[in-house]
Amino acid sequence: MKEEALKVIESVLSQGRTAMVEYEAKQVLKAYGLPVPEEKLAKTLDEALKYAEEIGYPVALKLMSPQILHKSDAKVVLLNIKSPEELKQKWEEIHENARRYRPDAEILGVLVAPMLKPGREIIIGVTEDPQFGHAIMFGLGGIFVEVLKDVTFRIIPITERDARKMVREIKGYPILAGARGEEPADIDAIVSMLLKVSELVDDLRDYIKEMDLNPVFVYEKGKGAVVVDARIILKEPKKEN
Amino acid sequence: MVEKIVEELRPFFDPKAVAIIGATNKKGKVGNVIFENFKTNKERGIFKGNIYPVNPKLDEIDGYKVYHSVEELPDDTELAVISIPAPFVPDTMRQIAKKGIKAVIIITGGFGELGEEGKKMEREILEIARENGIRVIGPNCVGVYVPDTGVDTVFLPEEKMDRPKSGPIAFVSQSGAFAAAMLDWAAGAGIGIGKMVSYGNKLDVDDADLMEYFIHDEGINVVTFYIEGVKDGRKFMEAAKKITKVKPVIALKSGRSEYGAKAASSHTGSLAGADTIYDAVFKQTGIIRAEDFEHMFDLAKAFAALKDKLPKGDRIGIITDGGGAGVMASDAVARFGLKMADLSEETLRYLKENFPPHAVAGNPTDVVGDTDAERYRIAIEGFVNDPNVDAIVVIVLFQVPLLEEEKIIEILAEYQKKSDKPIVAVAMGGEKTERYARMLEERGVPVYPTPERGVRAMAGLVKYAEYLRKGA
Repeated sequence: MKEEALKVIESVLSQGRTAMVEYEAKQVLKAYGLPVPEEKLAKTLDEALKYAEEIGYPVALKLMSPQILHKSDAKVVLLNIKSPEELKQKWEEIHENARRYRPDAEILGVLVAPMLKPGREIIIGVTEDPQFGHAIMFGLGGIFVEVLKDVTFRIIPITERDARKMVREIKGYPILAGARGEEPADIDAIVSMLLKVSELVDDLRDYIKEMDLNPVFVYEKGKGAVVVDARIILKEPKKEN
Repeated sequence: MVEKIVEELRPFFDPKAVAIIGATNKKGKVGNVIFENFKTNKERGIFKGNIYPVNPKLDEIDGYKVYHSVEELPDDTELAVISIPAPFVPDTMRQIAKKGIKAVIIITGGFGELGEEGKKMEREILEIARENGIRVIGPNCVGVYVPDTGVDTVFLPEEKMDRPKSGPIAFVSQSGAFAAAMLDWAAGAGIGIGKMVSYGNKLDVDDADLMEYFIHDEGINVVTFYIEGVKDGRKFMEAAKKITKVKPVIALKSGRSEYGAKAASSHTGSLAGADTIYDAVFKQTGIIRAEDFEHMFDLAKAFAALKDKLPKGDRIGIITDGGGAGVMASDAVARFGLKMADLSEETLRYLKENFPPHAVAGNPTDVVGDTDAERYRIAIEGFVNDPNVDAIVVIVLFQVPLLEEEKIIEILAEYQKKSDKPIVAVAMGGEKTERYARMLEERGVPVYPTPERGVRAMAGLVKYAEYLRKGA
């Protein structure tokens, strides 16, 4: 687990970067067993076509560039691509959008991803407190986090009981528990993710500064969850004398 | 075996002899007030140690021999209280080290809080302390107050600031001004404080050390903290997890967000504030967070009386002699996350059989305005025996005409003693009520001036009991 994640981290640091692109962040998450979609990084259009075939249409394209971390601002996420013809056209479009947003953007590739069934959106994050060290955050996504700031924190590492309490103590909990006749969400899957993130950060606390898993789609009870987008910011490596 | 921390901190609370460095005969000066405090407590027979004023320019203060230097001090000196100007402190520390004194309270301000020069002096002092195994409280603090041993370094004179009686509550405050105001207030409210420590810049002795110490302090059964900031977060959490398993810790945290100015690059970073982080720390370590000053002492009072008699669950029974107060208490039960107990059939029958027809058996049970103390006894007896009730809030409006004040006090004290269910009382009213409330508290029943505050204090007991059963 740790070795795999470290390989990704060291590769990013060796390129002189501290901000991981989505693809790299998800590889780190995957190393710790967090649920990420079956996505592949295509460097060429041919690769993209091949991956899309393997994944099955419709697919999404996300352009990976260290200079473009707010992908939606740059319009480098294109969704619901239904055929190889459309993919060829969108391949051009996504590169053009990237160039327009940041002409100097270095492009690592384009992530070919399956279209995900929407679920209830949550956010899991990590930040580092100067006194207490890394803290994990949990909340509902969208307006719940943006406007209402309905989130809760714990210091890492957390226990399963901490994780369960976090889920229950946000104001929006009834949305997960199943409000207005909705099926309850897969709370065990959320708890398991919180514990895995805690373990990951506890192992890699010397490297990780901040982290956002935003959004995560949570499905109905027993059906799991998936990390839709993720960011990891690494600490500046200590200068060796 | 005595724990290391207990051995190290004992001289602060019960020294064989204290040296007051900077003692003077000039009334109102810090060095004079502290000397006077010890001297007065010695005359009262509370402080049993020797008092050694130190001042190079004096030979005698109020009949006490003055030592001209630390070097001259007798060998039984265990505690040095320093109130000389900051620039002289490092040298004095060196002399203290040479003399072999292991506990020092530095009252003097003008160190780290004033910039680089002061920070340099602090580092120097800390280095001397570490090298010589000296523990330091302060600088920039009011130090220690222990009513049982007569240690009192609070430099606010008794004629301006009352001192509280002794009790099972420890109070720790970073701020000296807050500590002093609090002691004065506690004295007025009749709240007993066993030990007060104000550590100011906490150069050495900090919250974590004090938590470790209080684990072993048998006279203390609840620890209250006024915290502005924690230096070593991990050490704080370790110590907190340890002590909360043995005795309750209540914290009041203030201070602006340290994150305000910092631009966070992640979403999570922008949502984290110092306050949310402290919230997390308190939850994970079982520390009970007080909303404000009032809440802190409402809780402390409840724990001081009921720490060994915590509720077994969250089902609250309410007894009142006024309908409105009963409703307010029921609302508070919901608001503070507790449940109204469902009285058993048997209890309801018992109450109905023994009540006049116009009294209301139920939860709340309303003994109504023509009640006497005996009717309260019936209600309390019923609630105490009901397996569906975990804790009882008794509202007593002492103003009703037929209620025998002394008898109801007797009854409440009796049940507090013989039943295993905690009872808190609510008494709303003016001076007369306050007098009865004080009598009740002296008999082990904590009393609150409103139903909300009574229920909120009970909620603290319920939460802590749950923490002890299930963990954080």
